[in-house]
Amino acid sequence: MRDLIRPKIELRQVSKSYATDRGAILALRDTDLAIADGEFVSIVGPSGCGKSTLIYVVGGFLPAEGEVLVDGRAITGPGTERGVVFQEYALFPWFTVRRNIAYGLDQQGVPAAQRKETVDRLIGVIGLQGFEDRFPRELSGGMKQRVAIARTLACEPAILLLDEPFGALDAQTREIMQDELLRLWLESRKTVLMVTHDVTEAVYLSNRICVMSARPGRLVEEFRVELDRAKPREEIFLSDAFNRVRNQVWLSVRKQALAAESRNAP
Amino acid sequence: MHHDLLAHALIRAAPLLLFGILWQAASSVGLINAAFLPSPAAISVALADLLAGGEIGTNIFITLFRAGAGLLLGAVCGIWLGLMMARSLKFRAWVTPIVGGTYSLPKSALIPLFALWFGIGSITAICAVYLACLLPMTVNTFQGVVSTPKVLTWSADALGTRKRQMLRIYLRHALPDVFTGLRIALGFSFVLAISSEMIASTSGIGKLVFLYGENGAYDYMFAAIACVIGVAFLCDRAMLAVSAWCLRWHESAADARAA
Repeated sequence: MRDLIRPKIELRQVSKSYATDRGAILALRDTDLAIADGEFVSIVGPSGCGKSTLIYVVGGFLPAEGEVLVDGRAITGPGTERGVVFQEYALFPWFTVRRNIAYGLDQQGVPAAQRKETVDRLIGVIGLQGFEDRFPRELSGGMKQRVAIARTLACEPAILLLDEPFGALDAQTREIMQDELLRLWLESRKTVLMVTHDVTEAVYLSNRICVMSARPGRLVEEFRVELDRAKPREEIFLSDAFNRVRNQVWLSVRKQALAAESRNAP
Repeated sequence: MHHDLLAHALIRAAPLLLFGILWQAASSVGLINAAFLPSPAAISVALADLLAGGEIGTNIFITLFRAGAGLLLGAVCGIWLGLMMARSLKFRAWVTPIVGGTYSLPKSALIPLFALWFGIGSITAICAVYLACLLPMTVNTFQGVVSTPKVLTWSADALGTRKRQMLRIYLRHALPDVFTGLRIALGFSFVLAISSEMIASTSGIGKLVFLYGENGAYDYMFAAIACVIGVAFLCDRAMLAVSAWCLRWHESAADARAA
């Protein structure tokens, strides 16, 4: 049963500052956010606004002030129920494709036969049959990111945290990967929190978009996106509904970027 | 294919061959006094004589044992020290000044001291080799571990890696640097084993070279040195081959094959 009342992820007054040589820098300030089960939420904002910090905090990699709740319980660190995909892929370079995908299952002591079944299925899902025994260095950027996603999915996380997952890919590969992610989300209805600087990508994929201000990052504006995702990409891209939201979000992000610019100007 | 390899080897050895020919020519026409520097031909004769007897083989094995034992100990301790330095700030604060202070100290300067403590023989040589190998292993392992990208350990964490297993992530990431350290340490291990034998030993190739030199048998001395060069070269090649296999996943693997 999906819990319709309690959010899957909830941030309460989350703040995060980094200690630097020139004193503490506030990256994230008083952030409140509730994400429902099965929702796809994107965070967009000017670069360096603390978007990634938000993902790191929810991932449990960085301690922060305030509370991060998953299924109503405060997190104490990273957990396999929250799968993470980074822009830099972060594959284990010394493992082959197969062993990278099997890694999480291996750590959890899943029996070999079951492990093999899951890995074979995921290699099929990402379409990398024939590349099972390649090392990451022998793969293209798009292939690496597919492996990273498969490695995360192998642990069957209820939540996906995506930190600019397609930021390092060329435009064509990015579109293909977006469609694959969309299909995957439509099938599994996992809860997704994605950080991106690409407004079009956010609108195409998410139910809800939160715009973050320049550092210290705060969620300043929120947009709901109502699109029929079953339609092909071209149709969605050319629809008025899509472009209306896209323009609104773009203007909102631009406002934040300009505000940051004028604040940094001497 | 086979001919290509041979031709390639010949081209690579050409500068060495040319050097040998010039040396021989200078000796033959009397430019070099044979009492000070024997000709390559004389050295070759001595080398054939040395290789025919069993003495050189035994002594090379003794030296190899000393160099190998010191290298192994230095590698194990150095990897551990480097890992600890990278993972614990407190440990790093204690060890860094010691590493920095002793980095430029020539370890061979300590051989007489070791000879005083451990007497003449293998333990002194192994200690000298160990100390010389320890620092390059520590420093390189440290570098390799601290340069582990955050996203790599975070990914490992999010995939449920247990605490003990996390060390394996760090060590695996450090492996290319560990091999860099090993190659440097391998060179040091020969230098230190041989110099230690020259100063404080009754056996080993270093002692042999020293004895021939003392007695003015320079052709035999050079022949023994040639054996050292040959063995050291083979060890280095073996190390390269092992490292290439262990690092076949690394970005450098493609370049190494081309070079």
